[in-house]
Amino acid sequence: MTSLKQLSSILKSVQKPGRYIGGEMHSIVKDKSEVSLRFGLCFPDVYEIGMSNLGSRLLYHTLNSDPGIWCERVYAPAQDMKAQMEKHAIPLTAIESGEDVKEFDILGFSLHYELCYTTVLSMLKLAGIPLLSKDRAEDAPIILGGGPCAYNSEPMADYFDLMNIGEGEELLTDICHLYMQMKKDGSYSRAAFLRRAAAEIEGVYVPSLYEITYKEDGTIAACTPKYPDVPARVKKRIVKDLDKAPYPDKLVMPYIETVHDRITLEIYRGCIRGCRFCQAGMIYRPIREKSPETLCKAAKCLFENTGYEEISLISLSTSDYSRLRELTDLLLEWTDDAHVSLSLPSLRLDSFSEELMQKISSVRTGGLTFAPEAGTQRLRDVINKNVSEEDLLRSVRIAFRGGKSSVKLYFMNGLPTETYEDIEGIAHTAKRVIDANYELPREERPAGLGVTVSVACFVPKPFTAFQWEKQDSFESLIKKQSYLRSCITDRRIKYNYHEAKVSFIEAVLTRGDRRLAPVIAAAVADGAYLDAWDEGFDFDRWMRAFAACGVDPAYYTTRGFGLDEVLPWDVIDCGITKQFLLREREKAYKGETTPACSEHCSGCGASALGGKTRWCK
Amino acid sequence: MVQVKNLPYLTLRFKFYKKGALQYISHLDLVRTMHKIVVRAGFPLWYTEGFNPKPKLIFGAPLSIGCESDCEFLDVRMVERVNEAEAIAALNRNMTADMQVTEAYYTETKFSDMAYLGYIFRFSLLDGTKALPAIVACLEKDRILIEKMGKSGKDKVMKTVDIKPQIRSAEVYAEGEEICIRAILSADPASFLNPEHLVSVLKSECGILREQNLARESYFILRTDAYTKDLSPFR
Ligand code: SF4
Repeated sequence: MTSLKQLSSILKSVQKPGRYIGGEMHSIVKDKSEVSLRFGLCFPDVYEIGMSNLGSRLLYHTLNSDPGIWCERVYAPAQDMKAQMEKHAIPLTAIESGEDVKEFDILGFSLHYELCYTTVLSMLKLAGIPLLSKDRAEDAPIILGGGPCAYNSEPMADYFDLMNIGEGEELLTDICHLYMQMKKDGSYSRAAFLRRAAAEIEGVYVPSLYEITYKEDGTIAACTPKYPDVPARVKKRIVKDLDKAPYPDKLVMPYIETVHDRITLEIYRGCIRGCRFCQAGMIYRPIREKSPETLCKAAKCLFENTGYEEISLISLSTSDYSRLRELTDLLLEWTDDAHVSLSLPSLRLDSFSEELMQKISSVRTGGLTFAPEAGTQRLRDVINKNVSEEDLLRSVRIAFRGGKSSVKLYFMNGLPTETYEDIEGIAHTAKRVIDANYELPREERPAGLGVTVSVACFVPKPFTAFQWEKQDSFESLIKKQSYLRSCITDRRIKYNYHEAKVSFIEAVLTRGDRRLAPVIAAAVADGAYLDAWDEGFDFDRWMRAFAACGVDPAYYTTRGFGLDEVLPWDVIDCGITKQFLLREREKAYKGETTPACSEHCSGCGASALGGKTRWCK
Repeated sequence: MVQVKNLPYLTLRFKFYKKGALQYISHLDLVRTMHKIVVRAGFPLWYTEGFNPKPKLIFGAPLSIGCESDCEFLDVRMVERVNEAEAIAALNRNMTADMQVTEAYYTETKFSDMAYLGYIFRFSLLDGTKALPAIVACLEKDRILIEKMGKSGKDKVMKTVDIKPQIRSAEVYAEGEEICIRAILSADPASFLNPEHLVSVLKSECGILREQNLARESYFILRTDAYTKDLSPFR
């Protein structure tokens, strides 16, 4: 155990020492002699990021509501702190107890972004835990992963003992209970536990229990379970009725500022839209809404226990919540008087939101952001982004009339079938937004108009209609980025673009297989840490790691995957069927759109998972 | 927003300590934290007017990271009188053990009436008593010069400043292995002396402190009390 006193020499020499002190209001401290399982909820990024993660907040609450479990938080120390810890041989500790996480029973990592993989391995190193699952001693903690990247965690398969596929609330509880039971009846051994978890708990994927074979051309031949009781495909676990799911009544109150320092209310899971590039829109299906009553009760309780004066309604697309009006009415019954403001990010501006903006001064629609994603209607149809330029301009006018003067537009380069015309379309769309402002009567125009165009690079993701696509080559992306720059001539348009190099590494990791494991370890050995931050990312380091391990990154990016190829993530059943994705891919190439689930169920397969849903047939 | 214009208010002053882990929390983060604490406490808060009404919280002199304090002040404007003892209990329920309120009273004095702050410095040195005369000599000099970042027009430049006038009194003594200084320093915003500056002077002027390469961690600063101009306790 490293006490604060011992750490004091270090805390006084690092940036933001408040990240490491713990002791926050509502953090949960239990008597360790009275619990039977110590769980470390590990977030592979710094405190300010991890503290804002909704999933972690939910799991912290859920696990700690079990008296037998003590769940503590573990974050990645910032570079300066990590250097100090290494210098003074201070191991990775948990925030609540300050104790060495190596002594814990289970460490659960949130895999929210592929570029956090190097941080995961660095945290294991700091903790003094062997990186490879097979090297861990009987008494080492079980290393578990979950979150969106778990849907294809093959590049990390050798490092994790167990993967959580799907929503953690019930799944993690089941895993913990099996662990406690086996410890109690003396049947526990790592191997026995992992085997039983894989065989008995839906949503558990134990990578070491599967054999991967490869064809001569290097593609995967098969992924076969090693034992008959291990499922051939692991089915995603979902919470069937979100109204009955546990929701925290308190939040750990950070002393330092975090990125989302407010109450976040998850209003529904899933997405009715079906954009063909979007992974989140697929893996969180089926769509399950919470009732306004449940949400309002949770909001009130959280407000009283936290003192936060901002409530953010979170989902993939706020406007698609079918009872938004009811919910806002219910919230407004008390929020205005309590000086609480509502923020509705990912809200499409339409007549309802105009009404909402007028009704209450305290509604924050967030910075005004729109995501047309593509510059022409043709390409928007290809990606099934069902917004027209007219929709965009209508929203922008509402915003301008509402006094907003800066608008941010998100696009993507490198989408399948993209041409230079589509790129010109991005510049054109931005210009139309500027013009829309000047078409308004002078007195309705906001002062200091500015439009920001922010362009990401398309990364083909598992479980999307574009999962087989080639990623645009690096050179091509850079050419497109500079072409777009030359198309944007208006000084009121600010142009930002994502580093193509980052998207390239992301693409390798997101569609990667087990042969990438040594590459990640090589990057870590070469100093990779907090790769998700600009200052942590080093492209050359990654290229050195690929070269050292004899892995060609292009295999995962510009090659594209064959439609009949066994995909590294085929072992996971996230509900969405391959047939649906193939159908969507075909439609994409024909430029045909697919209606939202609210209009028509397209039979994506997610309804087979069950769950209380409004739309799924 | 139903607030009537210019609602009258009462100012309830809280005196609290901030110690242990909370010495690593900056003044800005303290302000943010306190804001949520007073909201949670459920006080009848007075809100500012305008588009984004906020409760009015006024803090006494800021405390830098790495200093502990027994003597922090917070003024909260209320629209109704709350019982002092109940107010203390309500705040303390909403704060952790390293920060607790010790006193609460209604007041009309301003923080600008606070002229001095008292501190205790403790240095842990290998051969502490040897440093004592050097520290005394340093503090007795007519001028105590420090290099400080200051502004010259728009630019930031290094300036040499004499901090002697900002030290009202300083008494040096040994306590076991430790050397202590009990000092009363200016708290006037125009000539506020950050106790860290005193430490940096001692480090550069006193051989023994320099030789031991006094790391930031081997000393400890505690703010103990506050005074008015005539050195009577500030309330
Ligand atoms: S089952 Fe139908 S309604 Fe449900 S998510 Fe899939 S496509 Fe949408």
